[in-house]
Amino acid sequence: MIEVKELFVELGDFRLDNINVAINKNEFFVLMGPTGAGKTVLLEVIAGLIPVRKGYISIGGKNATTLPPEKRGVGIVYQDYCLFPHMTVKENINFGLHYNKIKKGIAKDRFKRLVQNLNLGHLLNRLPTNLSGGENQRVSLARALMIEPLVLLLDEPLSALDHRFREEIREDLKKLHRDSDTTFLMVTHDFAEAISLADRVAVMNEGRIEQTGTTEEIFRKPCSTFVADFVGMKNLFAVKFCGTEARINYLTIDVGYSPPEGCSYIAVRPEDIVLSLKKLDSSMRNAFSGTIKGLIDRGFYYEVWIESAETIFKATITKRSLFELALSEGMNVFFSFKSTALHLF
Amino acid sequence: MKVKEPFFWVNISCGIIIMVFILLPLLEMLTAPSLSMVKETIKDKDVVRSIWLSIYTAGLAALFSFIFGTPLAYILARTNFVGKRLVESIVDLPIVIPHPVVGIAILSVAGKNHWIGEIFSDVGIRIMGSVTGIVVVLTFVGLPFYVNAVKSGFENISPRLENVSRSLGASMTSTFFRITFPLAWRSILIGIIMCSARAISEFGAVVVVAYHPMIAPVLIYERYEAYGLSYSQPVAVWLVSICLILFLVLRILTLRKGKSS
Amino acid sequence: MKKLLKLTCLLIVFACTAMAAPSSTLAEPSGKLVIFHAGSLSVPFEAMEKAFEAKYPKVDVLREAGGSQACARKISELKKPCDLMVSADFKVIDKLLIPTYANWNVRFATNQLVLCYTDKSKYANIINENNWHEILQKKDVIWGHSDPNLDPCGYRSLMVLQLAEKYYKKPGLYNAVIANRPKENIRPKSVELISLLQSGNMDYAWEYRSVAVQHKLRYISLPDDINLGNYKYDDFYSQAVVKVTGKEPGTFMDIKGDSCTYGITLVKNPPNEEAAVAFLEYLLDPKGGLKVLDDMGQPPFVPCRVSTPEMKKALPVKLQDKVEVKN
Repeated sequence: MIEVKELFVELGDFRLDNINVAINKNEFFVLMGPTGAGKTVLLEVIAGLIPVRKGYISIGGKNATTLPPEKRGVGIVYQDYCLFPHMTVKENINFGLHYNKIKKGIAKDRFKRLVQNLNLGHLLNRLPTNLSGGENQRVSLARALMIEPLVLLLDEPLSALDHRFREEIREDLKKLHRDSDTTFLMVTHDFAEAISLADRVAVMNEGRIEQTGTTEEIFRKPCSTFVADFVGMKNLFAVKFCGTEARINYLTIDVGYSPPEGCSYIAVRPEDIVLSLKKLDSSMRNAFSGTIKGLIDRGFYYEVWIESAETIFKATITKRSLFELALSEGMNVFFSFKSTALHLF
Repeated sequence: MKVKEPFFWVNISCGIIIMVFILLPLLEMLTAPSLSMVKETIKDKDVVRSIWLSIYTAGLAALFSFIFGTPLAYILARTNFVGKRLVESIVDLPIVIPHPVVGIAILSVAGKNHWIGEIFSDVGIRIMGSVTGIVVVLTFVGLPFYVNAVKSGFENISPRLENVSRSLGASMTSTFFRITFPLAWRSILIGIIMCSARAISEFGAVVVVAYHPMIAPVLIYERYEAYGLSYSQPVAVWLVSICLILFLVLRILTLRKGKSS
Repeated sequence: MKKLLKLTCLLIVFACTAMAAPSSTLAEPSGKLVIFHAGSLSVPFEAMEKAFEAKYPKVDVLREAGGSQACARKISELKKPCDLMVSADFKVIDKLLIPTYANWNVRFATNQLVLCYTDKSKYANIINENNWHEILQKKDVIWGHSDPNLDPCGYRSLMVLQLAEKYYKKPGLYNAVIANRPKENIRPKSVELISLLQSGNMDYAWEYRSVAVQHKLRYISLPDDINLGNYKYDDFYSQAVVKVTGKEPGTFMDIKGDSCTYGITLVKNPPNEEAAVAFLEYLLDPKGGLKVLDDMGQPPFVPCRVSTPEMKKALPVKLQDKVEVKN
């Protein structure tokens, strides 16, 4: 549905460098990355709001590189809803009908359906200033989907909402996407959102796309140190490979297979490390002992820093387990992980 | 700011000083002429004609500022380009130039010694001593007030609203008239008020370009020069009163509409 | 805090000494000298100001130019402080200032009216002293004069036109020419017309010959019978009458045609009498002010004149031998 080839954009301090990405019809595609990576810029370029210095964009098979925004069939939903403050909810939702020839009957049906699905029936005559954040965002979605655009761009649609609304609207998004033909392209910071909604993800950094793939691929098989760090693979080490073993300083890790050419890093997710007081009798090939160097409260779980042979590993543990094991700093513990949990790149 | 703090009292005192500074001379002028003098004055056809001329030329100046200034204000609010600061300074120039200089400059361009003046002369447009000339001068001095007020207004409207509108299929023109303009109308109205207020009170630039037909400030000055304060004050009273009422009405209209939306 | 106090005291002392104007007990003339004068004298009086200030550096001459009636009213109605009043028509001093605001009137120069124009004026290449009144009637010609109520040059322009009607023996000429001069072409001061001519906003304007010469304008000279420049034709001139506004609003007075004679007077109770008299001494000196006037195309009376012996006696002593009694 969307094809971006060799895109170069310059907008003041923001740049996009050689962006290449293809998004399939009716896909739910998620863009992630740190602040300033260029995610919103890319969104606005696809929408036609920012001019392109070099490159090619096609939407729905048509060359859209120089098309004005109103001719692209690309809707946009912003983080701060951007409802027209001088129009009622109903007028906001129906705004696009003026410019898109849709038969009256079909429009009416669609309006009813959207209003029902998003539970907006009681708000139709209100002005946007009197609505809550969640209600605002739902109106914003209804407005964009009313004209059934080819593509819907969502720029962090949930980050301005209270937690309790986020889950609701996340489910709404899922449902809306399922029920329509529109391709969704969403920017988010929240991993949980990405994992629950995305078909595929792209990670951006400093104006470039670092990696594109399914959520599984991104979170478990990052292809660069940046992506690995970004997705929270906290145990990232530069290693020397020797047969099926990897060496970090004085530690030898059993990888289980010969690594392909060019690999120089291994990584393992903190969640995949198992902690115990005694050495575990298990099939996990990699078992080590170490000293707890730090216990960090992360709200709903704890992060445990263990030093073993001058290398620090970070593991996660629930609060309950922490108390059951009576862990404390300075203690000696055993930690282990499967070689299948290792990611090499 | 606590009520008993010296900081608070200093602020209040300065405020009072300023109020007195503005009101004292005005009240003095408004109460100086006798009621009968004031009544007589408004019966004078010259006075009525010149006050009406002042109001209607200021209105025209505001209209032209609205037509030509709004697009410029929009560009200045939305875009950044090389030389933007220069353009903004140029827009502010009429405020800085001494008023008689404005009049002289406009006359020099309007005369037959200048190629533009020649074209005007051939086409039959007359600037010196005409209503056209007065409106040209008033638009010149009033424009910066309009443009700056409206530019502020446009800046306060998030460009994202326009982006959404375009994503829904509206062209830039349609977006401007359905979204931007309605949201900015209060700033536009304020711009019109400021521009008209500035235009109505202009004297130095107009008197160089057109002595006749006489706008009210020129009439007031002529009467002062010829016969003194007592003959000119009543005209001033009428002009100030009519203008105050006009602007108050406009302000009330905007307030009421503001509350209901 | 102490420093601030000291500084404030110093500033106050400084301000006081600055405000204490130099008193007239000093021997040399000093301080401000306020002169209201006719617009047509702007150029020669600017030269005189420079020469006088060079001679008496402590004096600051402040000039205000305007139509002579306007100047007189500034003194009589607005009570604006003024030392000397110089009028383009000495009669204005007689009628509006004597006896309440002045005691005497010295006539010091003459002038005549001419029709000024530039190379860019319409029909500039064909206008001459015979067809000027026909050209002024053409619809596409913009011509003007100053306000007769505020400036002698204004009513003098109208007088020239009245006299032209009689001289050329063309009844209705006056009305025909005036019909082509809408109100918009009138300005309070005749010198404003100059800039309108120079910028091409006006084709023809009535001005004094001295002003035309000083501003290097082209002009048509008219016969002495009608140009108000030669006192020998005073009888013919007196046929022209113009009604102008009087002392109070709503009143009018008639002014009869007369040759252009400039007058000067010392306003009663002037703020700076010493400097004023010193200036008069300079002005009435054939090698001083009168020479400046001559150089600038404005023929002076040498010596200057007063109309009666009583008036001569009313003059300050220093000036009495600089004038003669002549009517």
